[in-house]
Amino acid sequence: MKLQPRQQILEIWQATARTSFQDGKWIWGGRDSSNSISDAEQLLCLMTPAAGPAVFKLDRPDETSDDVLRALRGLGDSVEIPRLLIRILTEYMERYSAADGTPVFAGEEYFQPPPGVPELSDTLRTMDVVDSFSTSVALSLSTIGFLRVFREVIKREDLRREVEALEALASKRLSAAMVGLLRSFTVSVFDAHSPEGRALCRTANQSGVPERQIIEDLRRALREINARLRDVTIGSGAGIAEDLDNPNRLFECGWSWGIVRKAPAIVTSEQVGEQREGVAQAAPYLYFTVVALDGIAALFSERTRLLGLLNEEQTRLAQALQLRWDLTQSYWSTIATFGSGRWPLEDIPWRTTDRAESDYFSLLVTSIVVQDLVRRRAPDAALSRVGQVLNELANRSRITRRPFELNDPALPMHSPGVRIDLFGADGDTETTLRWTVSDFAPLLLQRTVRIAGLMRDTERRGALLGLADDVWDHLQLRRIAGEPGTDLWDQPGNVFSQLPSISDHPSWYYTRRVVECLVTAADVVGSPPLRNERLAELAGDLLSEADHRFDQELLRGSTEAGPAMRSTLQSARATLRRAREIVADHPGTAFVLVSEVLRDLDRLAAARSDLSGGL
Amino acid sequence: MLVFATSDKGGTGRSVTSCNVVYRRALQSSDVCYLDFDFGSPTAGAIFHINALVSGVPERGLHSYLLGKANDPVRYDVWTSSDRDSLRGRPPGAGRLVFHPGDSGGGEFSADRDVVRRCVNLLLRLDEEFELCLVDLSAGRSYATQIVLAATATPELAAVPYRWLIYHRWTRQHIIAAANLVNGRRGIIETGAELGHDRDRLSSAIRFVRTAVVDPDSTELAGLRAAQIAWLRDCNTDLQEIASGRRVGRTQMLGAVPLDPVLQWREQLISDNDVLTRHIANQATVDAFNTIAKRLFDDSAWEGL
Repeated sequence: MKLQPRQQILEIWQATARTSFQDGKWIWGGRDSSNSISDAEQLLCLMTPAAGPAVFKLDRPDETSDDVLRALRGLGDSVEIPRLLIRILTEYMERYSAADGTPVFAGEEYFQPPPGVPELSDTLRTMDVVDSFSTSVALSLSTIGFLRVFREVIKREDLRREVEALEALASKRLSAAMVGLLRSFTVSVFDAHSPEGRALCRTANQSGVPERQIIEDLRRALREINARLRDVTIGSGAGIAEDLDNPNRLFECGWSWGIVRKAPAIVTSEQVGEQREGVAQAAPYLYFTVVALDGIAALFSERTRLLGLLNEEQTRLAQALQLRWDLTQSYWSTIATFGSGRWPLEDIPWRTTDRAESDYFSLLVTSIVVQDLVRRRAPDAALSRVGQVLNELANRSRITRRPFELNDPALPMHSPGVRIDLFGADGDTETTLRWTVSDFAPLLLQRTVRIAGLMRDTERRGALLGLADDVWDHLQLRRIAGEPGTDLWDQPGNVFSQLPSISDHPSWYYTRRVVECLVTAADVVGSPPLRNERLAELAGDLLSEADHRFDQELLRGSTEAGPAMRSTLQSARATLRRAREIVADHPGTAFVLVSEVLRDLDRLAAARSDLSGGL
Repeated sequence: MLVFATSDKGGTGRSVTSCNVVYRRALQSSDVCYLDFDFGSPTAGAIFHINALVSGVPERGLHSYLLGKANDPVRYDVWTSSDRDSLRGRPPGAGRLVFHPGDSGGGEFSADRDVVRRCVNLLLRLDEEFELCLVDLSAGRSYATQIVLAATATPELAAVPYRWLIYHRWTRQHIIAAANLVNGRRGIIETGAELGHDRDRLSSAIRFVRTAVVDPDSTELAGLRAAQIAWLRDCNTDLQEIASGRRVGRTQMLGAVPLDPVLQWREQLISDNDVLTRHIANQATVDAFNTIAKRLFDDSAWEGL
C-alpha cells in the first residue's frame, strides 16, 4: 500500500500545527473563514486521529510517542499540547454558544446565496445545519473521550477545573446536536404516480417490470421499515406512518438540511438551551443523510461505549437516533440493491426523487450501502460489486482517467463542487440557499479502503487497495504548495490544469475528510493480515517434513558431532519451534522459516550422498 | 534558588551531571555554588579538576562545619583553582563558579537540631550570594537528605525557593528505585511531610533527570542490528509505561542526558572545547546540560499537570 497512515497523519499534523498556531495564538478559519463547521473540522484534524489508533494518543503525556511530539512541536511539548487543546476546545465551545448558553450550529459561510441573489440575509446565514450537528457530535465525543483519560493524570486544581468546565460544555453541545438531529430527520410520503414516485420507481426498476408490479415489489421490500417507522414517536418525522397504509403511497426517509419546519421540541432533561423553530423542507437530502449517518454511527461505536462517553439521558437520545439510523440505512440500502438483476446503484449516475443526478450521489449511496454490508457481514461477492462501482466512479470522475482538455463535465464535481439547493417548507419561497460539496475524492478513498478492509479474498482485496493507492496519488497531488496552507488541502488545479487555481488557504472541510481516510486506513493496516488457506496448508505440510527430517538427523546421533554440527542443529530446532508458534497466524512467514531449516538439513544430507557414490 | 540533587542508587552520574549543570549555568552568566553533601565519599573535586581536593579537604570542609568543628567552611573558586587548563580563567560573561568541598575523612552523621541550624544558616547565606546553590546529596535515603529536608522546613528558609532533582538511569530497576525514593515508604515526600513540609508543594518541586539514556532512534546506534533496534524500541516503550505508572514519566522529567563516552569513562566537566575542537564529547550532551540548567529556572517546566 502506498498509503502510510502513520507517516501521513503526522505530516498533516505538522502542517496543521504550523498553519493554525502562530506566535502562541490559535488561528481560526481557513479558506471558508471561521464558522461552527469549519472550526470544528480544523480541530478534528487533530482530534480524530488522537481519538483513534493508540499511536496517536495525546491524552497520556507520559506515553506520547516521540515522532508524534516531533510532528506537533509547534504546539509545545507533551505537557503543553493537551493543555493547549483544552484551551482551544473551550474557546470553540464558547465561541459557538449564544449569549444564553444555547449551542449554535450555524452554517454561515458554508451557505451560499442562490443564483440571482447577491447576499444572504442574516436570518438565513445563521440557520442551524445538519452538517454542523454531525461535526459537533464527532468533536464533542472526541473531546469528552480525550478528557476522560487526561483527567486521570492531572493533579493541579486549576487544570482540573478547566477540564470539568470543558467537559460540561462539550456534553451540552453533544446533547444539543443530538436534539438537532432528532428534529431534522424526516419521512417524506408521496403518491406512487407523483413525479417523486415515478422517479423512485424508475431508479428501482432496473429490469423493465411493469409499473404496477414495481410499486408492489417496492412496498413489499420496504414493509419492515414501514412498520418500524411507527416507532418514531418523538421529533420530526413522527406520526407519518398512517399515511403509508394507502397502497399507492411510497416514501423516502433521511435527513433534511436543517431543522424541519414545525418539528416539535424534544422533551429532555438535558440543558440544551432554546430549541429554535425550523424552516427546512420535510424531505431527505442525500448529502445530509450521509453526513448525519456518519455522525450518528460514532454515538454507538465501541469507543463511546467502552469509555462511557454518554450520560443516561444522552443514551436515551442516542437510542432514538439509532432507530432512525437503522431505518435510513436499511431504506437506502434496500433501494440501492433492489431487484434481482442489475442494482440501481450500478446504474450510474444516481438520480434523486427531485430529479437531480450526479456521480456524486452514486458515491453517497455507495457509502450507505457499504455501512449496511458491514452490518450484515455481507459476502465478498456483494462487496466486490460495490468495489466495481467505486472503480467506475473513479474513472468517471477523472481520478484514474485523463480528463478532456476542454469542458470535461466531470471536473466541476471536484471544483467548485456539486451544488445542492436547499429549500424551505412548502409555501416558503423566502428560504432558498445553496450548499456546495467537493469531497468526492476523499469520500471515494475512504469507502474504498473501508471495503478493502472487509474483503476476505486476497486477490479482490489487492485490486481494491490498488484503486485506493491510485486515489491517494491523486489526493497527494492536490496538496497546497504555497503559504499558508502548505501540505494541506485542497488545490485541484494541481491535477486538473483546466481548473483555475484557488486560494492557498487550507480547506478544513477537505483536510478533515482526508484525515478520516487515513484513520480508516490505519485501522485496516492495524488489523491482522489475511490468512490464506492454501498457504496455511502448504506451510503445515512443509513443517511436518522438516520436523521429520530433523528427527532423523537426531536419530543419526548428529548432536554428538562437534560444535559446528551442534550449532546447526540447535538453530534448526529453535527455528522450527518459532515456525510452529506462528504457523496458525502467519503461514507465509512460517513457510520461509521452515524452508531455511530444510535447506540446512539438506546440506548435511547432500554431503553424505557423496560417500554413497553421488557426484 | 536552592537545588537538591540526589539519586536512587549510586553510579547514576549524579555528581558529574550536577557539576556540569552548574558549570553550564555559570556560563549562562549566573553566579552559582556547588555544595558537596555526599558525606560518604566527597569526590566532586575530581570533577572540577582541583587536584588537591580529589577526595575532599583535610579540614574545614562541610562536615566540620555542620558538626560545629569549623565556623567558616572553606570554599574554592573553580575558575582560579582548577588544574585543568580549559577551566582556568573565567570566560567572558560567565558568572562565579564556587565549590564547597566535603572533608576527606568524613562519614555519615545524623541530623540533630544543631546540625540543621548550621545548615539553615549556611544555605541562607549562600542563597543571598548566589543565584543557584546546588547541594549534591548522597544516593538513596541518607542523613544528608534528612538534614536538608529538615532545614527547608524551618521558618527561616520558608521564603527561599527550592527544587529537587532526582537522577536515575533509564532502566527498569532504576525507574522503580527512583519512584520509591520519592513516593515510597520513608521516601522524600513521606520524610518531608513528617518534618513539616506540605506534601503537594514538596511533590511539585521534585523532577527527575534521566542519565546515560540510550535513544533507540539515534544515529549513534547505527552499528546495532535491525533486530536489536526493534527490540530496543519495544523495551523503551515498556519502560515508558512503567515510568508513567510510577509517576516518573515524561511529565515529571526535567531533562535526559544521553550516554556519552566522556561521562562514562572519565567523569569530568564537558567544555565546549571537548565538543568543538577535540570532538571527544557529543553536542547532544552539552545541549542536555544547557536545557536542564535553563529549565531549572523556567517556572513553566515546574507547573506540571
